[in-house]
Amino acid sequence: MAMEKIARKIPTSLWNEASEKLIDIILNSPNASNMPSDLAKTILYYWQRDQLATEIGLQRLLEAAMILEHEKTINLMEELGVHEIAVMLKETMK
Amino acid sequence: MIEFGIEFVPRDLYWKTTFYAIQAEKIGFDYLWITDHFNNRNVYVSLAIISAYTERIKFGPGVTNPYLSHPVVTAQAVATLNEIAPGRVVCGLGVGDKTTLQIVNVEPKKPLGTIRESVRIIREFVSGKTVEMEGKIFKVSGAKLNFKVANQVPIFIGAQGPKMLALAAEIGDGVLINASHPQDVENAVKFIREGAERASKKTSDLEISAYTSFSIASTYEKALKAVLPVVAYIVAGSPSIILEKHRISMEQAYRIRESIVHGKWKEAFSLVDEHMVETFSICGNPEKCVEKINKLVKVGVNQVVAGSPIGPNMRKSINMIATQVFPHFKESTEKIKK
Repeated sequence: MAMEKIARKIPTSLWNEASEKLIDIILNSPNASNMPSDLAKTILYYWQRDQLATEIGLQRLLEAAMILEHEKTINLMEELGVHEIAVMLKETMK
Repeated sequence: MIEFGIEFVPRDLYWKTTFYAIQAEKIGFDYLWITDHFNNRNVYVSLAIISAYTERIKFGPGVTNPYLSHPVVTAQAVATLNEIAPGRVVCGLGVGDKTTLQIVNVEPKKPLGTIRESVRIIREFVSGKTVEMEGKIFKVSGAKLNFKVANQVPIFIGAQGPKMLALAAEIGDGVLINASHPQDVENAVKFIREGAERASKKTSDLEISAYTSFSIASTYEKALKAVLPVVAYIVAGSPSIILEKHRISMEQAYRIRESIVHGKWKEAFSLVDEHMVETFSICGNPEKCVEKINKLVKVGVNQVVAGSPIGPNMRKSINMIATQVFPHFKESTEKIKK
């Protein structure tokens, strides 16, 4: 639920860039084996349908990226200029 | 028109391989080949999940071998896959990797006879016939599938030596030439023509594929770094006749082999020189890769398989193929998506 709210906060203009960079974080993570299989299959489902740069796709990517690389994910949001989202992501870790 | 295949080694997590497979389909690859080594993830399990997330791309083991998997088991697997993805399944068959087979004490004896009999068994089994074979290698007494297969599964044979290339053309639906150098591929095509003539086949009816080791990146240096380990293994495993033909020092090859055997990877990779890379791979920036693919097309192949490693960053390299290689060979790039 928290991630759904967070994903909703990402401005549409950033969807493509955020999606691309989150995918890179996920695919290149040395912690990739920590990815829950169900979440991986959901991401593949959206990838097949070209929906990773949508609200629901970003939600799943954020979930995965936070599991594998939470610091990089939070830093990415700062880089993208969405400080509010970075703060919200930090909150999910408490 | 030239077709393109891509090879994935299921060494990676299943979802990563599937992610790249979806990407490969989106950008317009025609074939997807998954390697079959017992120490990686299982080829058919990998293909089954890929089949569920793709719709168009043709796929199959690239290649499996009849020494570890009996042909009826291979036939059963491809027949089952064909039920999931009708008409998209192909079966790559070869003698296998000698080094890997040695680990389990399996010697690839009588490769020509083994492949010939295997192809017959797979073809008959998939087509629903009752297989009876009193072969020199395989004895089969009345094996029959308990389900119907909607269509025949094309069999591609992996080959490198003259006799296997000719046999592949004679009995296969396609040939996967295990080579990256245009001169090697040109020679291979001559043997393929001989084999096709022997079977009164037209070479134009055969899928002739160059199964290359491929590495693409923005610079040669980056592509080189990724391909060095693969080339080191190829040099280490190449027969002396191939090394001599390409004027590769036997001593150097021996040193690479010894370094690999003793786990001295850095040493092994440092012994690989540019001539070896040029001989055993397509490696470089997009322009260089296009140039080499063009040479392969000119000598008579109608499919180029981009085999491992693809590049230093799989996702970026696949996108680079889409945007900077395919436009030189494919009529439409409409399907290209990131």
